[in-house]
Amino acid sequence: MPITILPPKPSRPINNHQHPSEDDVSAASDSDSDAGAAIDQDGDHAMHPPTKRTRLTTTTTISNRTAAAAAAAASIVTPGEQITDDPQWMRGHGTYVAGTAAGSASTITAGSIVSSVAGTVTRTNKLLSVRPLRARYTPEVGDLVVGRIVEVQAKRWRVDVGSTQLAALPLSAINLPGGILRKRTETDELQIRTFFAEGDLLVAEVQQLFGDGGAVLHTRSLKYGKLRNGVFVAVAGMGGGGGVVRSRRQVWTMDAANGGGQIDVVLGVNGYVWISRHVETPEAEAAGKGAAGITNMEESVSTTMYSSQNDRIEVEAMREIARLRGVVTALVENGLRVDEDMVVRGYHEAVEMAMVSPEGSDDIYLGGEKGQQLAAALTGV
Amino acid sequence: MASSQHVLLSPAELAYLHASLSLTPPIRPDGRSPTQFRPLVAETGILPGTNGSARICFADGTEAIVGVKAEVERTAQRPGEDTIFLEEGGVEGGDDADGDGEAREGVDKRKGDAAWVEMTVEIPGLRDDDSGTAFLSAMLSEALLSDGEFAKRLWINRRFHWKLYLDIILISPPLSYPLPLLSLTSHLALLSTRLPRLKSEGDEDPFFDDDWAAAPYLYPRTTPTTTSSTSPTTTTAATRPPITLLVMAVGNNIIFDPSKEELTVADVALAVSVTSTASSTSKPHTDNADLKEPDTEAGRNLRLLSIRTIDPPSRLTPPGVANAANAAYGANNGAATGATQKMLEAQTAETEAVEGVWKAPRGGAKRRVLGALVQKVLERGGVVDEVLDALEAVDLG
Repeated sequence: MPITILPPKPSRPINNHQHPSEDDVSAASDSDSDAGAAIDQDGDHAMHPPTKRTRLTTTTTISNRTAAAAAAAASIVTPGEQITDDPQWMRGHGTYVAGTAAGSASTITAGSIVSSVAGTVTRTNKLLSVRPLRARYTPEVGDLVVGRIVEVQAKRWRVDVGSTQLAALPLSAINLPGGILRKRTETDELQIRTFFAEGDLLVAEVQQLFGDGGAVLHTRSLKYGKLRNGVFVAVAGMGGGGGVVRSRRQVWTMDAANGGGQIDVVLGVNGYVWISRHVETPEAEAAGKGAAGITNMEESVSTTMYSSQNDRIEVEAMREIARLRGVVTALVENGLRVDEDMVVRGYHEAVEMAMVSPEGSDDIYLGGEKGQQLAAALTGV
Repeated sequence: MASSQHVLLSPAELAYLHASLSLTPPIRPDGRSPTQFRPLVAETGILPGTNGSARICFADGTEAIVGVKAEVERTAQRPGEDTIFLEEGGVEGGDDADGDGEAREGVDKRKGDAAWVEMTVEIPGLRDDDSGTAFLSAMLSEALLSDGEFAKRLWINRRFHWKLYLDIILISPPLSYPLPLLSLTSHLALLSTRLPRLKSEGDEDPFFDDDWAAAPYLYPRTTPTTTSSTSPTTTTAATRPPITLLVMAVGNNIIFDPSKEELTVADVALAVSVTSTASSTSKPHTDNADLKEPDTEAGRNLRLLSIRTIDPPSRLTPPGVANAANAAYGANNGAATGATQKMLEAQTAETEAVEGVWKAPRGGAKRRVLGALVQKVLERGGVVDEVLDALEAVDLG
């Protein structure tokens, strides 16, 4: 069947009453005196219909609380919507305090907390914040990111990392071929495109942050550098439930089924994912022996570090890489998190699904219904 | 300027994509088979103020809305064409004109004009006089109007016609080349378009039935179970609005509905417009030949309306540098001066392809590939048939 056309899904019912959170918050403030922890007030939505909202008692059961959390997630605030005008709350991420000028024209009173993004309200004690439905990546120092060069400047590259701004990769923050440690000269500046040119993909680490949220990257490790022998897929970095989450391991090598050899997966924290054939390089062997370090890098930095030539890749490996890519997109489309555990489990599940499918194990398509099947199998466990 | 937007990919990615798409069978990055489309979500009748509307979204979030609105317009009379006599008494005095009218009575006296359809395409982030938008709009309206059959449907009488406004809006940013999406959506919208039933007769001022339920479809629907019906004579699949498909070729592989990344490594990309005409107008030779029976059973006469080449973005991609010529290659880094490096770069651009190094395709499409491509599209019971079937199965709410 070359095409599948599905009817639209009925939209999820949204708790659609006026100023949901305001009511909620004011209810919370009422009950504040009677020793109620603010967290408990989350229950308000689920337990009572909006028309006859009663004050929440502190005897909320655990089950109620989880149901409440689900219902609270369904109530969405939009930018410019007033969350509360009660001065006892502190503003958190995704909110701002309305100024006096704003009050003159609109219904928002000065000093009230207003949402600045579209998302769900979360409360931590007295802190009100809005979790955005969709957001761009916010860099943090130490994050492993996958980026794409979009601009080459005299002494640095500008890298797209899915953030609000382009990240910078200074010429001084890369390894020179052969691992030579020296000051970057004019010759290096002239040859800057031989290291990275526009469009090149690289894996790097956030080294430093500017005050405005811009990031400075570095690739001064044998783990980082130019990417080749594989495919790229961009998934949402955060928000909306799915996407790459920060985890213990963002990069791993796994054994592929069906004779696909070994496959490297790089999950950038920014939601950019790289899946490639594993290449055994001299520096990796050296790293295995524990000999590589910043001190003796010159011996181990590979000569193919800035190569844009792919190695020979077998058909089986290509098929398994495509399957892994399908797993990642299926996870995101079904709102599941993307991390090592989920991807590896999803991959094994996909291999088994293909085994029993009528098309045989060469069938690697994981879109549409198959993706939903996969997600159901993963969440059911 | 390229007609499809430029996607920035690294030479290594391009080489990998090209290699995997050149395999037999090709391995597409999203695992689809070469003829498989991305799954769609479709609905019709979403805009109550229109005569027909549709919405389609892809799983990746690309989404388009099409609304069709119709209004009655007076047909401009050109001098010398058949004159119209409003008075009942003045029965067509001109004998010549009368003869003409009589002659056309049996055939089809309806006429159409391309100006009766106005199409606007809106792509977010692009100006509406942007070449990309203009090209898209031209391709879509060309498919609709090229054979003149569509405009004839808008004929009311000799003095009036329907003026149809097609508003095609892409809601999401164009994540992939939006032509197939827009075409499929406008196909669905036209399928769901209904025009009020005409009550007046002849050339008098048109007067319509105000019962919307009685309004006929612009494209009359046949029995929904045409394919499973027993008698092949009733399987007269009616004429359907055209669809424009994006088809590309990498090597000898023909790939339907390419995603943005796949299009970046295409050797050839074509927009092929196809329509299905009523098979009742069968040619004489199909009647006598029994061998043609399975053909008529398929129920569709696919007609090729137009082929347009899309400038594939692959031509603008930067070439990869082979390891042997790479100045950053540790071994010859010290030795390579600026001049020799430049010379080496120029050399790689001209030399034969090295395996694993991306090289932008040069030259035009191979004739054999083009032929195979068109044949694949027009194949009976092939992709287009299934796409039309699937679109027909969408509930016209």
